[in-house]
Amino acid sequence: MEENIISFKATLNGLILVMREEDDFDVIYESVARKLETSGRFFKGASLDVKYRGKKLDSVQQNKIASLIAQKASAEVKSFEEDETFNGAEMEAEEPDRSSEKPRMRLMYFKGLEEGMTRFYKGTVRSGTLVSYQGNLVVIGDVNPGGEVIAAGNVIVMGSLRGMVHAGADGNKEAVVAALSLQPTQLRIADVITRPPDTKQIRQGLLPEMAFVKDDLVFIETFLPQFK
Amino acid sequence: MSEVIVITSGKGGVGKTTTTANIGTGLALSGQKVVLIDTDIGLRNLDVVMGLENRIVYDLVDVVEGNCRVKQALIKDKRYDGLYLLPAAQTRDKSSVKPQQMMDLCGELKEEFDYIIVDCPAGIEQGFKNAIAGADRAIVVTTPEVSAVRDADRIVGLLEANELRNPKLLINRMRSDMVKRGDMMSIDDIIDILAIGLVGVVPDDEKIVVSTNRGEPAINDQKSPAGQAYRNIVRRIKGEEVPYMTFGEDQGFMVKLKRLLGLKAD
Repeated sequence: MEENIISFKATLNGLILVMREEDDFDVIYESVARKLETSGRFFKGASLDVKYRGKKLDSVQQNKIASLIAQKASAEVKSFEEDETFNGAEMEAEEPDRSSEKPRMRLMYFKGLEEGMTRFYKGTVRSGTLVSYQGNLVVIGDVNPGGEVIAAGNVIVMGSLRGMVHAGADGNKEAVVAALSLQPTQLRIADVITRPPDTKQIRQGLLPEMAFVKDDLVFIETFLPQFK
Repeated sequence: MSEVIVITSGKGGVGKTTTTANIGTGLALSGQKVVLIDTDIGLRNLDVVMGLENRIVYDLVDVVEGNCRVKQALIKDKRYDGLYLLPAAQTRDKSSVKPQQMMDLCGELKEEFDYIIVDCPAGIEQGFKNAIAGADRAIVVTTPEVSAVRDADRIVGLLEANELRNPKLLINRMRSDMVKRGDMMSIDDIIDILAIGLVGVVPDDEKIVVSTNRGEPAINDQKSPAGQAYRNIVRRIKGEEVPYMTFGEDQGFMVKLKRLLGLKAD
């Protein structure tokens, strides 16, 4: 329950400190200190506009937390004020909605398939792990069953892809999925969802393949001439 | 008259998920409309045991957060009519769902289904509290080991504290040969400690491993002793009186005959 006391949300030029109304100031202060102890390095050298919500603080308390952030995170706190754009009703709706991690379908989808922002993820994506990016995504390693890889652009797996993969997650049907061994639990490109047939096929060794969408159907092809 | 039954144990690895899959399948086979809910968020297994993993699009967390309607998240079983699965999320954690949300969800599903079987995660924390929130009845799974029985005892206490009276006991992975040698707790030993009603005893059966790996519940395997035990349990859940399979003492007619003739039964 510890981590529920406070949470940080990143904004464009700062962060929002979300608190719970029912907690004492001392409890909040303690957990801000603890949280910064572990994740404070992230803000090092930054200058932040900090806003808070969920609980009213008086000016003494504001100063205490502001200087705590400045000190623990080695960051400059440009301002520290209550988040007024926020009202209580929104909190209920927004708090549990962490699904914004998963990119939503949009009219303005990611178009940098040829030359765009790319994230490189090194290591195995194990069960329960979600690796996502608002661009192309390259996994240097395997994706195990239960692992999820979601990208707004292409997904390339330099290993065996056995988990769930979603390319073009915000709507780009041109996105492709390629892997050295393509055996996903489920494969999605934009809003097209497929799964492998129930009959088990036994395949040995690595066979690099690429999946793409044509006429709302997913096609899978080898892309190396020697395997054709 | 629909019912929410939670399958719980406290200890991990005693067979909650296997039990959920088999009881759910058994109830569906007997013509009931059944939905299985996996509440083990972050460590989901029920979809794998049911062989439905690759059909998951939405999950329990999506439903409670309102990203989709309940009907969109329900996965129809590929073999049995009237059997549905509501899978857990894998990349989230137990705090993504609150007990009140589970209560509301169970209430909603009750209008549609005859039985709602909730697969509870191991432990007594948030996941357990979520799983039991909407339940009308509970089945406590244990194996004949002191550690599992100790945890089952704790669970029975917690269930009673949460107004879930008269939980039923399911003893899993019983090995009559070991009980006979005195190396394993007997059914009576376990009931002595837990003092709750027995719903059934499932023998240790290699076929369970095979069926779990294949993603096909063993209950429909006529040759599997565990399958037979689960079929009896399903009938008991539906209110029938079914005699218990013989355990602990003998394994069948041949053993009895041997003993009768004075031969050492092994």
